[in-house]
Amino acid sequence: MRRVHFVGLLAFSTAIGVGSAQAADVKVGVVQGLSGPPAIVDFGESYLQGIKLAAKDYAAKGGKHKIELVVYDDEANPQKAVSLVQRLMQNDKAAVIIGTVSSGNVLAFAPIMQKAGVPLVAGPSIATNITTQFINENPSYIFRCSMVEKHQIDAMLDWGVKTFKKIGLVHSTTGYGNFAAKEIADGIGTRGTKLVAVEAVAPNVNDLTPQMLKMKEAGAELVLNFHESFELMYRPMPKIDYRPRVAGNWGLSSLKVLQIVGSQELEGTVMGQALDLSLDEPKAFVTRMEKEYGKDFRWPVIAALGYDAMQVVLKAIDSASAIEHKAVRDALEGVDGIKGISATPAKPFGLKDHECLDKEHVFLGVWKGGQVVRLQD
Amino acid sequence: MISATNFVQLLFSGLAMGAIYALTAKGLFIAHLATARMNFGQGEFLMIAAYLSMALILAGIPVAVSAVVVIAVMGALGWALERFALRPLDRFRSLAGGQYSWVLTTMGVALIIQNVATLVWGKSSQYSPPLFSESRSNVIKVFGVGVFVEELVVIVTALVVVAFFYWFLFRTRQGRGIQAIAFNPEAATLLGVDVRRTVTLVFVLAAVLAGISGILVGPIVTVQPHMGLVFTVKAFAVASLGGFANPLGVLVGALIFGITESFSNYFNSKFGDLIPLIIVLVLLVIKPSGLFGEAKADVR
Repeated sequence: MRRVHFVGLLAFSTAIGVGSAQAADVKVGVVQGLSGPPAIVDFGESYLQGIKLAAKDYAAKGGKHKIELVVYDDEANPQKAVSLVQRLMQNDKAAVIIGTVSSGNVLAFAPIMQKAGVPLVAGPSIATNITTQFINENPSYIFRCSMVEKHQIDAMLDWGVKTFKKIGLVHSTTGYGNFAAKEIADGIGTRGTKLVAVEAVAPNVNDLTPQMLKMKEAGAELVLNFHESFELMYRPMPKIDYRPRVAGNWGLSSLKVLQIVGSQELEGTVMGQALDLSLDEPKAFVTRMEKEYGKDFRWPVIAALGYDAMQVVLKAIDSASAIEHKAVRDALEGVDGIKGISATPAKPFGLKDHECLDKEHVFLGVWKGGQVVRLQD
Repeated sequence: MISATNFVQLLFSGLAMGAIYALTAKGLFIAHLATARMNFGQGEFLMIAAYLSMALILAGIPVAVSAVVVIAVMGALGWALERFALRPLDRFRSLAGGQYSWVLTTMGVALIIQNVATLVWGKSSQYSPPLFSESRSNVIKVFGVGVFVEELVVIVTALVVVAFFYWFLFRTRQGRGIQAIAFNPEAATLLGVDVRRTVTLVFVLAAVLAGISGILVGPIVTVQPHMGLVFTVKAFAVASLGGFANPLGVLVGALIFGITESFSNYFNSKFGDLIPLIIVLVLLVIKPSGLFGEAKADVR
């Protein structure tokens, strides 16, 4: 355990700073899922790429502080995530912590950070209740720069119920999948309709032919895809001669999914989005990321949110009255003037709003000609 | 009530996955037959073969050439496993727990292979192109249902490999040598069987079988560094169900497992993967030696 941490520190610790005029080092702790199931790694690495680029830009602009990123891999393991957060708080003395992919991990360490009074900017975790459960604390130390499950599900159901008569759901039996399924079932119920078929699937399956046959039998015109192996659903479609519209988790916007499934098969797939690639700034961001990370860059929206999370953190550190937890927390709440790459607004947080993305910032994206664009229909 | 079309569709899906399990399990079976040991990294061998095949095909090398290269590499890997991870520990077999050293070493090799794959190809899932068609949407109709060409090839390959193993084990000198070693290595040596060479041969064969599985499974599933464990576990269950007795037993066990998995996922996908394993457990309680195994003392 100790060795892994040491290696992690050696491998990822990045000191970014210029000139001697800067103030003392400020440590920003990052916990991300950087190994384990491929979907987790894709999220974790993409978000971290955004964080690193923002830190690099800050240093290049001659930032007020010398920033040291201390990055640890939680391996999508809640126990490990908790111990790493404790290490960041107690040993590394991080001013603020960013992380992680698994909502379950965040929900495990967020109460500890709240109690210790250390600010957390969660991401790219997605569970709806991450900030809301602490918002009435006085004060809350828990913030987030990521998609919010309820917002993307609401957007999807509003569109789905209006456009299709029969909607089915395929979700995984992981904590995330079950959580999403409950939100969808509740959401569709409040819209006065119900799902024609629901299939819960283990996370490590290799073939979704049986489940897709059930969707076909039920006549589902729209199938909601909330399984972490985003590509699996598309595999059996040609052989069972069934091509429903697919909508799902924002993970479906990954370039990895495009590479595996193929542009033709993915055409028309809808997902929650917070990055409009028809705009110039996001386009320029993608070009920069491609240049910076080459083929390792695979997820524009996640990287953009990582970038924005780090921008928010750096702005808070710069404007804090002192580099101590309470002052940084207060500064986070008051951050203004962010030029977000994603839909993150200029002033992301408020007294009772600790989410970068609110309902109005989340929209539906659709794969069209090998690119994710804003859904128009 | 299930329609006839869906029944046939599920049957083909189950047969295809069952055939993959059969090919993987045969590697476990042959190694166990001769040495009472197995490669717990059989799934990782499959995984690395899938990656190698994918990389060669994506590099523009013809499928047939890629397959030959992958099989040759896997054979060498099987030889290296026996030569460097298993044989050096044989001299400690008489020590307490020494006879189980192969469990740790094969698992260790599996972890090394997993990490090598991660280093070379990254942690993400990968796309492996189809072997016999231009796109993954190329489907042919069999008994009125769509089947991927790759699925049919997997099924046919499993049957051919069973036939080959029958011929090899019961009709060739090397096959009889394996059976002689399985019965009694010392007696086999006295009868002129080169035990060391035969033991190496079975691990080479096991690795080649994992290689064939890997080449065929790549285009059917998503290739990723952690895919091996599931195949090892299921292949082990399948070989146990067949009784580690003969190639036919392994095939029947695998097809029962694959078809059960397909249908159980249709009727209750939440527990779809669990039900075949429960069925294996129940069958083993009823017949501990497996469907085709004979209850007899291991005299080795």
